[in-house]
Amino acid sequence: MYDTIVIGAGLAGLMAAIGRAERGEKVMVLAKGHGTTHWTTGCLDLFAEVDDPIAGIIQLTDQRPHHPYALVGLTMIEQGVARFRAICEAAGYPMVGNFNRNLLLPTALGALRPTAFAPATMINGDARQLRDGRPTLIASFGVLRDFFPPLIAANLRAQGIAAEAALLALPPTGRQHDFSPVILARMFDQPDFRARVGEQLAAFVRKGGYARIGMPAILGLKHPTEVVRDLQNRAGALIFEIPTLPTSVAGMRLYHILENALLSLGGRMQLGGFVQRGEPLKETLVAVFSEAAAREQRHTARRWVLATGGILGGGIRATPEGHLRETALDLPLQTPDSRSGWFAARFLAEQGHPVFQSGVRVDRSLRPLDASGRLVYENVMVAGSALAGFDPVREGCLEGVAIATGWAAGQQ
Amino acid sequence: MDHIELSLTQSLDHCIKCNICTAACPVAAVTDAFPGPKYVGPQAQRFRHAAQPVPAASVDYCSGCRVCNQVCPTGVRIAELNARARAQMVAERGMPLRNRIIARSGLVGRLSCGPQAPLVNLTLSFAPARWLIEQVLGIHRHAPLPKASTYTFQHWFRRRKSTVAGRRPKVVYFHGCSTNYYEPHVGKAAVAVLEHLGFEVIIPPQRCCGLPLLSNGDFPAAQKHHQYNVAQLLPFVRAGIPIVGTSTSCTLTLKEEAPELLGLHGDDVRAVAAGTYDIFEFLRNLHERGELRTDFRSIERRLPYHPPCQLRAHRIGRPVLDVLGLVPGLHLDESRADCCGIAGTYGLKREKYQIAMDVGKPLFDFVQASGQNLALCDSETCRWQISGATGVETRHPIEILAEAYGVL
Repeated sequence: MYDTIVIGAGLAGLMAAIGRAERGEKVMVLAKGHGTTHWTTGCLDLFAEVDDPIAGIIQLTDQRPHHPYALVGLTMIEQGVARFRAICEAAGYPMVGNFNRNLLLPTALGALRPTAFAPATMINGDARQLRDGRPTLIASFGVLRDFFPPLIAANLRAQGIAAEAALLALPPTGRQHDFSPVILARMFDQPDFRARVGEQLAAFVRKGGYARIGMPAILGLKHPTEVVRDLQNRAGALIFEIPTLPTSVAGMRLYHILENALLSLGGRMQLGGFVQRGEPLKETLVAVFSEAAAREQRHTARRWVLATGGILGGGIRATPEGHLRETALDLPLQTPDSRSGWFAARFLAEQGHPVFQSGVRVDRSLRPLDASGRLVYENVMVAGSALAGFDPVREGCLEGVAIATGWAAGQQ
Repeated sequence: MDHIELSLTQSLDHCIKCNICTAACPVAAVTDAFPGPKYVGPQAQRFRHAAQPVPAASVDYCSGCRVCNQVCPTGVRIAELNARARAQMVAERGMPLRNRIIARSGLVGRLSCGPQAPLVNLTLSFAPARWLIEQVLGIHRHAPLPKASTYTFQHWFRRRKSTVAGRRPKVVYFHGCSTNYYEPHVGKAAVAVLEHLGFEVIIPPQRCCGLPLLSNGDFPAAQKHHQYNVAQLLPFVRAGIPIVGTSTSCTLTLKEEAPELLGLHGDDVRAVAAGTYDIFEFLRNLHERGELRTDFRSIERRLPYHPPCQLRAHRIGRPVLDVLGLVPGLHLDESRADCCGIAGTYGLKREKYQIAMDVGKPLFDFVQASGQNLALCDSETCRWQISGATGVETRHPIEILAEAYGVL
């Protein structure tokens, strides 16, 4: 019997679990597998629609009282982000940025993406610095798929940044093929490997006078801060990472940092456990059942946090008949009435597609409500993208809502 | 096509190509002989057809550890796809003699165990003999081989006097090959614990669960074993008597591996699967019902514990931590290593030995850094691998529990 079982191992779930474990509770995170942390940039998007995220959030909470930010309030947002940053800092991986002005960081296509906090390894890529007129080099290995320095540099140039591209020679590794971001990141954790790369970077800097070098976010899985510092010293230029396509090493780092924090507080993790149904007793959730070999496993806890994600994370799925379902507890969803209401007429419609605002409607304590506003479970809290009333990707608040609501669920 | 088979074939459509499995795969991390679960699993599966030759052989480098299944966010049964692909390859191309031998752990055990065991063990500890075996058979000369026992567990069980009398609830013990031929002490500890808890222990005739055959791709032979075991165990299951095992791989095979991989989903197979428990899962269930004795002696120790892949594949959490956590003074440090590398018979093979050692390195480092002279692990081949690589004695957790109950 646990005090709290958290379903879902993304940012929301892990932050909730850490909060509970810090209060001395017996906590377990039960998850079907690795989640969206491994797909995302490894940055903390708070609110990307305006330059000043906090001002934007204050305005948002006035206009949309059911937005998750409005439900938890500004204090919880700030405290959650502060705690998250402190955990990363303690792990030697500081998250840099601020609440009042978004950074503008290059993507793997060379677009500029607003985000509130980014790992120190990415921070030198802020477009405001890149526009200082000094040349920037975008460098990678030909063997890394889905990351093309010439494309990135060309798109940056189109936005007024003096960027050029280079392909580096891969130092000898004993490996002939399959250079995924993770494989390369492990190589960068090896001092010999990065010394060889550092030599090449130094040669480019001598020739081209580059002030900054942008590289894919593969600069170490375990010791990225150290790797970047080392490469900067060897190259004689500032280095910044650009997030890659999945699997995202920068996202994995955050996952590992939070997982370590939870385990060192005595929390438990169980992966590979799809939660399939709950066992209610009136308004109390008594147990959940997770899929297992030959028969389900029953788990009991006093309190639950549902942090299974939205449509992207798999917490919400569509049936072949065109209904959306919350996968773990079958909670009622706030969603367009029929499938015809899912999408706006235009693919790139400015207001986004209504289906992506689908989720579980909750009260101010994040407890699930049904369509008539009645409480479904008094001992369940919902956090992260499983919540209704916001569009995490379009609004650029995926991580912010996850951390704020996850932290809130861990405190109440 | 029944629904399990359907879900197995359809699960490749659930793959969204995110590569989380490849990022987590401990084999792909150390060798490019294995391109990664996504490529040889859901991706290559599209090119495999019963009527066509197997397109690529790299799937043979899958160790079957199932880390991919565990981390996949969309529930693709990657390890099962791989195991089936290997079986198709074996059916097409045949099986090397070496694999035929090591996949028959029951036969090898029977030949090694008994009065001749000291001679067998001496020979196998003799470097030139191991060199010869490597040359002839392709079993790596440094691969960890267990020491054969001079007597079988079954023999011991038949000759002993039961310590329990009167009508007791019954439980069937599935001991598996390793307990029978190499580590009878594990079975003795299990019997002692179960009897201490008031059970009458029954040991029906049983064969190898067939897992080594499954993981080496000989499905027809594995099916014979499974059908035999189901026939033997079914009457007990039908009578409501649970089957418990100390080998996490045997119990996983009875529960899921054999039915899923072989496509056996009859009522009898299902009943046996549903009636089978890992022993610590069984004990944890007892505890949850308030029926587990907790008259433990205190054991003031801090020990490293590795939950083996074959236990994690049960998807039941960490029953050993839950149960041994009740023993006063005992603290287990859980290894967070993915895999010890051996994966049953994988690490014995000459061409895979070094991969297995590289995969296991984080675990070996963890065990050695603990500074303890004892480690715990539920799975036999993993214990041999850990001991072989670190020199640290590795025991089944049931032995510590028996000690805590004071029944050894």
